[in-house]
Amino acid sequence: MAEIVFAAGIPHAPAVVGLFDKAPDEARAVVAATFGAVGRALRAAKPDVVLVFANDHLTNSRITAYPDFIIGHAAEHAGPHEWFKEWIGCRDWALPGNPEVARTLFKGLTKRGFRMNVEAGPLKFDDNLSVPTVMTELDSTGIPVVPILQNCTVPPFPDGARCYALGQAVARCIAEDMPAGLRVALIGSGGLSHEPGGARYYKIDEEFDQLFLKLASQPDHATFLREITIPRMEQAGLGGTAEVLSWFIVMGAIGERRGESFGYTGWPSFRCGIGGVVWEVA
Amino acid sequence: MSWEAYDPSLAAHDLVQDLKWDPALRALFKQNEAAVLDRYPTMLPAERRAIEQRDFRALYDLGMHPYLGGQLSRFIWGNDAGGGAIEASNRLVASLTGSTASIPEKP
Repeated sequence: MAEIVFAAGIPHAPAVVGLFDKAPDEARAVVAATFGAVGRALRAAKPDVVLVFANDHLTNSRITAYPDFIIGHAAEHAGPHEWFKEWIGCRDWALPGNPEVARTLFKGLTKRGFRMNVEAGPLKFDDNLSVPTVMTELDSTGIPVVPILQNCTVPPFPDGARCYALGQAVARCIAEDMPAGLRVALIGSGGLSHEPGGARYYKIDEEFDQLFLKLASQPDHATFLREITIPRMEQAGLGGTAEVLSWFIVMGAIGERRGESFGYTGWPSFRCGIGGVVWEVA
Repeated sequence: MSWEAYDPSLAAHDLVQDLKWDPALRALFKQNEAAVLDRYPTMLPAERRAIEQRDFRALYDLGMHPYLGGQLSRFIWGNDAGGGAIEASNRLVASLTGSTASIPEKP
């Protein structure tokens, strides 16, 4: 029986890298505190593998044949993909994969009723994995990563209840299908409020973001699932805010746990609300 | 905004994916945009006109997905974090809203 030793939810807005130096002090402090705390807690948990549930922003598939979930099966993952390098403004990175864990997830989640897809070759990564990796220096740890890319922007996409149920299936897969003693970390990468490419590109819904961070940090998931609906997400930013569905998967996997967050900033030029949560799982 | 107008069949979506995945096509788009648009025979005349006129409001009303619309704006106006990408999002928002009111002065 493998165990979950770490769980966090973090945003991946590219501007936290590219515009970090131009941001006001209070916004920079929140970015540094959030990614710093996640990086330290992740290292302290000494995981053998990190499952990163990250949004796919139409980076790997055409809109006419769009998968809801893709598991990255490759032995190595690298990024950012060429066109995104200057947009994010971050260094290149590479992470070892874990094909055995990817294969176990594919088999185990399929068996439990979830339509997953697998990419055997290299996936293209944009800010989804690049920003968490460089901001926590995950690539300096040598810990293998299995990315699970998720559709939350091409309608219709799996809703909060479905993503939470997927997380519960991930937990069973870890507990029942993965080798005893394997230490598994979970990260949800996405959100908070934003409307990428939309008329409200520069609007951030701080009220939504604060409610979301508060409810995500409390061990009361019935209230969380009732309040954080897709219509409310889309009111807070169409096509972007629903990225928080990546956190629903992690929360479904760990069950009702308390979380700690590290401040919040809604600086408009980040074009995204910024805050993160590390949950108590040990 | 809502998904009301969203039309996954627009050829402009494939255009953006091809530009994103193919640096040679991206270079050609800069040199000879019409030659690239000619490669999409199912593109609607109104869709092509909206791209040529940089009328993102019209393009979104035809059903363009906003995430890919944002990327299209970066092929046109620039993609680097501290410069072109800011110009692109400013122009995009101005086209969509008919106003510059929500655009931050800095950075």
